[in-house]
Amino acid sequence: MSDMQNSDVAFHKVTKGMRSYFLDDANADQLMTFMLELMTEVIVLKDKNDLLERFLSDNNIISREALMDYVPSPEAEAERTKERADLVKRVLRIHQPEGR
Amino acid sequence: MVENKPLRNAPLPDIDSFVQPTRDEAARMRAVNSIHIHALLELRFQCREPYEKHAKPNFIERYGYEPKTGDDVATAMEDNHFFKFYSSIRYNAQEMVNRARQPAVERALPDLIETAKLAAQTNAAGGSLRLDPNFQVPEYMTDLDVHLAPGGYHTEYLPDDVAQGVMLGGGATGKPKGYNPRARNFATVGSSISYWLQQVYPDFEPKSVLDMGTQSGANLLAYVSAYPGIKAHGVDVAAPGLRYGHAKAEYAGIPVHFSQQDASATNFADGSFDLVVSSFFLHEVPVKVTHQIMAEVYRLLRPGGMIVFMELPPHKACEPFLNFAYDWDTQHNNEPFYQSYRALDPTQLVTDAGFDADSAFELTIPDTGSFDLSRYDAFLTGDLPAPPHGRGGWFIFGARKSA
Repeated sequence: MSDMQNSDVAFHKVTKGMRSYFLDDANADQLMTFMLELMTEVIVLKDKNDLLERFLSDNNIISREALMDYVPSPEAEAERTKERADLVKRVLRIHQPEGR
Repeated sequence: MVENKPLRNAPLPDIDSFVQPTRDEAARMRAVNSIHIHALLELRFQCREPYEKHAKPNFIERYGYEPKTGDDVATAMEDNHFFKFYSSIRYNAQEMVNRARQPAVERALPDLIETAKLAAQTNAAGGSLRLDPNFQVPEYMTDLDVHLAPGGYHTEYLPDDVAQGVMLGGGATGKPKGYNPRARNFATVGSSISYWLQQVYPDFEPKSVLDMGTQSGANLLAYVSAYPGIKAHGVDVAAPGLRYGHAKAEYAGIPVHFSQQDASATNFADGSFDLVVSSFFLHEVPVKVTHQIMAEVYRLLRPGGMIVFMELPPHKACEPFLNFAYDWDTQHNNEPFYQSYRALDPTQLVTDAGFDADSAFELTIPDTGSFDLSRYDAFLTGDLPAPPHGRGGWFIFGARKSA
């Protein structure tokens, strides 16, 4: 209804006041933030996956039971195994012997 | 940009309908709410286990006495591993709760502002909105962003802004239709108090009510339902919440009069009100201002009128561990007056303001949103205690002005 299509306002993202730190090392506090943000995104993804399954099932496009019993072909499973392995390498890329 | 439009005869839309989080934004709001609730209702109280098992015995061994105060418990728990991680999780979750709401409110802001302006121009339900363009928000409100919410209650990004009112007034929740969250509903304080008043003081029929620190009036509307025809006023120092609350009340067809005023010095005449209420308010202001507010309340009540404030339970009503658990917010939730407020004696507060000690009360009442009302009589007779404050009950105190 508004004539203002875009207010171009960006809300403050940082809280005014001293930030609290709780762990013995401020780096660890920062890691907690990373971890909790990641947990949030995992919940969001699980929420979407669950929604998809239920939607497809309720509309008779798939059966959730059949989905649970579904076994991909050996070729597909090999691709999935490689995907997993690649993801592990990407995530752990910093943990490498020196010079590699 | 949104000024001078002929709006007077336009129908008022539901201001909340413009906040439309995407599916993922809504899921994110629910996710961070789950983490926050887990920290507040589970981890916070689970800290008692390592306290009893390790921290308390260590404290006794070192100092030769059992922790007597929340500060003693804080000393005992200073290096406790479980407490540190609870604190970190809770702090981050508090920040994330606020951040998760922002994108949907940011996008909707032009429509939110226009709707609030329309409400203020039409006042179709018979309420009103009175803002003071020269009003100075007290520094104790602007020095820190209370509850770690960037922008606090007071920030205005645009003229006629409602953003922080929507952000902190329940306008962005991520709830799908029909979703029944396990989270506590803070807006049931008003209905819990009015229900209790009707049971305990059946002859008390207020014709006017004032809500101090009303924000967007979420806890004021219940009094209009409980006492039909009552004239309802709400004051607050922050304009965004008043604008938002006024738009919501007008849309709901409930006449409420919102005005931007400092609760410690309002412009209402002596004896203007039968009932003065507040919720979650006094612990956010310096103790000096708390006393000024109590004196102002006494001035504003007519003889025979009542004050009922919902607040944090005072130190004297809690054992040391609970005081420690509550007072976390003082340092870590940007609520610097939290602990010094809790150190006060509510009955002393009202008698200092002029109320008779005989009329003073302080107790925890059941939350009518979650309590089985068929058992309310058992609560009134003392056979059934109210659930603890914040977990199914609300701590209240007050007094009645001599007739």
